[in-house]
Amino acid sequence: MKAILETVDLRKTYRIGTVEVEALRGVNIQLREGELTAVMGPSGCGKSTLMHLLGAMTKPSGGKVLIDGQDIAELNDRQRTEIRRKKIGFVFQKFNLLPTLTARANINLARYLHGQSLKNDQHLTELLRMLMIEEKMGRKPSELSGGEQQRVAIARAVVNRPSILLADEPTGALDSKNSEIVLNMFRELNRKFKQTIVLVTHNPELATFTDRLIEMRDGQVVHDSGPVTLDADRELQPASRSI
Amino acid sequence: MIISSLVSRPVRTLVSILAVALEVTLILVIVGLTTGILAESNGRIVGVGADIMLQPQNSSMFLGLSSAPMPVSIGTKIVAQIPGVKAVSPVLTQTNSDGGIETVFGIEPVSFQAIGGPLRWVQGGLFVDNHDVVVDDIYATTKNVSVGNEVQILNQRFRVAGIVEHGRGARVYLPLQAAQEMTGAIDRASLFFIKTNSDQDVEPVMSQLAVKLEGYRLTRMRELVSLMSTNNIPGLNYFIQTVVFIAVCVGVLVIFLSMYTTITERTREIGILRSLGASKGYVVRLIFFESFMICILGVGLGLIGSKVVKSFVIMVFPTLTVMFTPTWIFRAALFAILSGLIGSFYPSLKAAAQDPIEALAYE
Repeated sequence: MKAILETVDLRKTYRIGTVEVEALRGVNIQLREGELTAVMGPSGCGKSTLMHLLGAMTKPSGGKVLIDGQDIAELNDRQRTEIRRKKIGFVFQKFNLLPTLTARANINLARYLHGQSLKNDQHLTELLRMLMIEEKMGRKPSELSGGEQQRVAIARAVVNRPSILLADEPTGALDSKNSEIVLNMFRELNRKFKQTIVLVTHNPELATFTDRLIEMRDGQVVHDSGPVTLDADRELQPASRSI
Repeated sequence: MIISSLVSRPVRTLVSILAVALEVTLILVIVGLTTGILAESNGRIVGVGADIMLQPQNSSMFLGLSSAPMPVSIGTKIVAQIPGVKAVSPVLTQTNSDGGIETVFGIEPVSFQAIGGPLRWVQGGLFVDNHDVVVDDIYATTKNVSVGNEVQILNQRFRVAGIVEHGRGARVYLPLQAAQEMTGAIDRASLFFIKTNSDQDVEPVMSQLAVKLEGYRLTRMRELVSLMSTNNIPGLNYFIQTVVFIAVCVGVLVIFLSMYTTITERTREIGILRSLGASKGYVVRLIFFESFMICILGVGLGLIGSKVVKSFVIMVFPTLTVMFTPTWIFRAALFAILSGLIGSFYPSLKAAAQDPIEALAYE
């Protein structure tokens, strides 16, 4: 399978006042289509910065980020925005749903931005059923539980069938039961829609749900379990698995 | 998304709409008052029925401000010496400021009615002596007077002898002699209204008057309306422009503040939109459309507000006229929408320029 995400000697430096902070110091990874990968490490190790770069949210200070073969360092804001819109879905720790919109409107907003028809289609129906939020569509985020909000956020992220799904601490604000539900959702989405999923976490137990584990420390990759052979018909992880 | 954003911040939305409505109301009422009063005044002067108005040199276009330097005998000579003249009526104009400001005509009833036909009486009739006045129906309604009542005009008490239909030059008419005595301008008039035998006689009569009364001001009544427009009244256009400018500034500043506040409140939302793939252009359009919606609602409310203010003005001051022309309604709406777009320009650019990562991290 071809690499859909690749970084080559990736560097990112932030300037905080007069001090320069090197968040990433030469990261080299290759993620293949359909892989479910966990990026782990302690707070401040650069994993969120890596996710922002993989999601074309910012430009690298050095090196390359290739998204489906395109180096985002060479793209302007408009082109990076287009990549985000067409190829990437984001899931955040704090859900980041628009509070004034209903769950349906939040999902439809992503569809609208993608240029899709806002009519119910089979994919959306299947997605809502899979995420068990069909009955919650008329509610605003404030009327949903944390787990439900995160499932709406996942629906919004994948409704346009992006080839890459990036999740930054997706279970960070959830209790263990909801965390388990959400992680199983990611598993199922990965199996059903063959999306490349990158989960950024500092929780080592979450990594057991993924095919591949990349560990980071001080802006560098210190361990990479490497790609695994992907079996399209692999079984889901048992729902009772503890995290 | 725009509507939900407006609905979810009702106080901000309402204040912004009210500010735009105030802008529209301010423009329409001020312009409506100035143009309305002018139009109504023009209508009354034209309603005298004359073809030509003769005034002395350097007289004011505001009739009530003219002095009375012309001998009344000029009128007799005009009728006698210039062919084509049907009637000449001398008028002595004064400005009455007792209980409001209005122009008072000192008239000779016979010649005045020879110009524009008989006065149409609502009640009573002509002056019996120099202590009588005739008022029009609007004046009578406003002051709540009827025939036989006393009114104070030019610091003197007069008895109301008759009430006529409005639209014939002034709202208050005195006997010419009484007006002359009050001002010490015996046998003098401020202006002459001249009626010709036919429309064809107007030009020749004006030509002959120009020769015989060199330096006097001759106005063809048909041209009076254009002469008495806002463009020809000294300073009036500047006044209107100043009011419009201030109103637009209010609109710009309120929309600016409203949109600036909203983008600060919604920094995280903008970050979410950008992460979803919304372009900078989309964010700019979002802010623009939101302010556009506010402006449209403000224009609607402003039009209603203007009508309410107009009704209130007319109820309290029946002699005033507030006129909303389609041109000024369009202009007021355009100014309001433009002020919204100008006011949201910088906030929308600021919103679009936000770094999506920083915006998402905003608490």
